[in-house]
Amino acid sequence: MSSDAAIRCRGLGKAYQLYARRTDQVKQMLFGSFHRFYLEYWVLRDIDLEVRRGESVGIIGRNGAGKTTLLRLLCGISQPTCGELNVAGRVAPILALGAAFDWEMTGRQNVLISSAVLGLRRSEILRRMPSIAEFAAIGPFIDQPVRLYSAGMRSRLAFAICAHAETDILIVDEALAVGDAAFGRKSLAFMESFRRRGTLIVVTHDMEQIRTLCDRVIWVDDGGIRASGGVAEVLRLYNDATEAEEDDGIRFRFDAEAHAALSQAAANRRHTKWRSG
Amino acid sequence: MSGPFNRRDQAKASTRFPDGLDQTYHDSAKGGVAATGTKDRHVGQSRAGGRATQRGRRALAPLTVGWRHRELILAVLRRELADRFSGSALGWVWAVVGPLITLAIYTMTFTKAMQLPAASAHGSTSSYALSTFVGLIVFGLFAELCCRAPLLMHEHAWFLKNSIFPSETLAWTAVFRALSYAGISVVVLLVFELALYGLPPLSILLLPFIVVPLVLFLLGMVWFLAAIGAFTRDISYLMITFVPLLMFVTPVFYRVTDLPDALRVLAYANPLGTAIEIARAAMLDGVLPPTLACLGFLVSSLAVCRGGYAVFERYKGILVDVI
Repeated sequence: MSSDAAIRCRGLGKAYQLYARRTDQVKQMLFGSFHRFYLEYWVLRDIDLEVRRGESVGIIGRNGAGKTTLLRLLCGISQPTCGELNVAGRVAPILALGAAFDWEMTGRQNVLISSAVLGLRRSEILRRMPSIAEFAAIGPFIDQPVRLYSAGMRSRLAFAICAHAETDILIVDEALAVGDAAFGRKSLAFMESFRRRGTLIVVTHDMEQIRTLCDRVIWVDDGGIRASGGVAEVLRLYNDATEAEEDDGIRFRFDAEAHAALSQAAANRRHTKWRSG
Repeated sequence: MSGPFNRRDQAKASTRFPDGLDQTYHDSAKGGVAATGTKDRHVGQSRAGGRATQRGRRALAPLTVGWRHRELILAVLRRELADRFSGSALGWVWAVVGPLITLAIYTMTFTKAMQLPAASAHGSTSSYALSTFVGLIVFGLFAELCCRAPLLMHEHAWFLKNSIFPSETLAWTAVFRALSYAGISVVVLLVFELALYGLPPLSILLLPFIVVPLVLFLLGMVWFLAAIGAFTRDISYLMITFVPLLMFVTPVFYRVTDLPDALRVLAYANPLGTAIEIARAAMLDGVLPPTLACLGFLVSSLAVCRGGYAVFERYKGILVDVI
């Protein structure tokens, strides 16, 4: 691996396992090495990607294209089905803001746990607590259970936690969608300052944000990379394509035969012996 | 100040490897090299003499995982204990009163109502009660974890799905939580022993040597049950039926010495029974526990721990997709 690559993946693919019945899951667990009891649904396939250290990359694409799945793989929340993935450095994901909170705990308790998940020590967390509270700017609510928070307050707190994690790679998924304009500006300012010291990966539908934040854009479409390159160039291609395409349900169709063929292809690449169900 | 806008020391940042933050597939190799899918795992041996150290590292994985994430484990544990003790109105009182009531009822039943032959063999009611208490503490630890482990992943589903929470640490937190509860019972037991018989024997200093293998055994069990339980809820129903039965197979209300010779071997084959007997020997009798039993217990604990972790590791990748 070249020393300046923060993220590199080759032939990365992710398939979810679709089960017809609940019992099939158990059967798969027990006899999985003899027979396959599920259909594979390929969300991502053949992703080749290299992000250099310090680079900031935008990921665009329509709903259901596989952007979030790609981010989840890069963060390590879910595991790739095939392919190779190298990540060098600490990763802090800003995805599904606030969804990882325990609703019964207070904001402060959640900060302690979420920051520990990001690899901070307790003493460091406690030292940063005032700064986190100030960044989130939710006032006395930080000592209230999270179930009393609004969606905006939850995402404020979650963003503040990630902003205070010492991280090398920041992965952001639509983070500014829920916050108000003032918080949006603050978050944007943070991301711009982070860009100068770390690797940034942003998923967004806001083209203006991409122009301000990113050096390079990757366009994910139908589980693969459709285009990648300079910001202006890819955005132009993307805009042309979205104008031409209609918003119909075709993209969410599940073609069992096509996916079975993909599974077969992946299996051949893996060189493993298994009978396809 | 450590505000988010402050620029950090670049040199320091670039030499740090992801050891604090586990990405699961970083486990197998050094410093974030080589992460592959579940099927084609080609862990490279990049350095000379890598094979032996790698095998050693793999064998120790259950322990190193706990050490690496100690801060996180402590944070979650602190939260869960706070929940358990300050969440209810009487908090600590339940932890003391609960086992006392159980003990009182069992002792009354088996010494007065049912006249268990094992109970009368030990002479006084109080010595039978203490010996049963030791059994109940160890078995309670096991029973709590048995019933909780299959649901462990579901309990923390929102964490696992939405953040980079390392799922293998949940077993550590669960075991330590149960252990702290058992610790309270041990204190109660010692207070009783002090009141009835004076100072406990010196062999009580051996207690840590009993707890360590017991923790390993429980960890392995929790990993195993949590992995299987993530896929199917049936395991947790099975446990509810199975655990009370196991209570009578394990020498909780009697001692191994009360059994006929042929069954005694069987009782020692049960690691839980051995743990109880060793604990009794150390805490009550003041004799050194039988060496062979200790050795067997240690070996089986290590095996269960490693085996349970291996099973968990195998299914960890798809856990997030199924819960």
